[in-house]
Amino acid sequence: MEKPDRREPPFVGDERELLEGFLDYYRDTLLLKCAGLSDEQLRTRGVEPSTLTLLGLVRHMTSVEQRWFQQALLGRDVKFVYGGARNREKEFHDVLGESSGRVERNFLDVCSESRIIARAHDLEELARSSNPDERVTLRWIYLHMIEEYARHCGHADLLRERLDGETGD
Amino acid sequence: MSIDTPARIEPDFHGPEKQQLAAWLDYHRATLLIKCAGLTFQQLATASVPPSTLTLLGLLRHMTFVEEYWFQRVFAGDDVISIYESRDDPDADLNDLQSAPLEDVERHFLDVGDASREIVRTSDLDALARSSGPSTTIDLRWVCVHLIEEYARHNGHADLLRECIDGATGD
Repeated sequence: MEKPDRREPPFVGDERELLEGFLDYYRDTLLLKCAGLSDEQLRTRGVEPSTLTLLGLVRHMTSVEQRWFQQALLGRDVKFVYGGARNREKEFHDVLGESSGRVERNFLDVCSESRIIARAHDLEELARSSNPDERVTLRWIYLHMIEEYARHCGHADLLRERLDGETGD
Repeated sequence: MSIDTPARIEPDFHGPEKQQLAAWLDYHRATLLIKCAGLTFQQLATASVPPSTLTLLGLLRHMTFVEEYWFQRVFAGDDVISIYESRDDPDADLNDLQSAPLEDVERHFLDVGDASREIVRTSDLDALARSSGPSTTIDLRWVCVHLIEEYARHNGHADLLRECIDGATGD
């Protein structure tokens, strides 16, 4: 995968700018953790007994983006790239025949779509999903996405360090 | 002595900005304690995912320092010196694990969280502060979101450290 051009979120600014800034920062951080590794390394369970892999994390976050921006916020009947909630285990683990090029493309496409969707809504706006567990505001979605990315990037930090010794924010 | 499992509250699905920031911060403070709960000092001090030198105890000390640094020192301008600071090692919070017993580490973590909560409660999110870092000026909003993402990232480390110690997993 390619190294993305990651930008620091603004140190002073309005709520929206800051939330968008941090979310994009973490989308790029996950890609940074994957950049320069072979497909085989990306598919390796580097911190056993954990079954996590870097490729599985990118697939998982692709689904998470689809769930919150497309399914929850818009209330859309979403065609999940990796099968959705019923396939949670598969999106993490079914990485054997998977190529990093495809995973990266899907991830970037879905993130672009999330950005377009979010822009058209107010932070106080309530998600249209009929599922009561998804009746959240866009503000909640932003904060949840940031903390979920950050937590998985913590996993990615230790996976990457195991694979080739590389560390860093 | 081991750390007790704290009560953790899921953030509400809606609410004003400050309330949501405070709720996510509390969620991650509690998560770090949950990841540490029930283990011995020895287990907490084990670098269980080598070559990383991170430990659960080091993370707990580090986040105490991070809260003190951003909320008290940078934002509120208080002249606090963290109990984990050392002239010899800038990373003493993460490394010098024998310098404080577990009950002190836990109490200090909880006290510092209370102090941060009070600062957030009584301040405006747009309020500015001077940082000695490269950024020079930051606002409280940035400090809150930064703390949430820093906690969450270290809780990701904590997930794998814990799983490698006793197999325990979960949010």
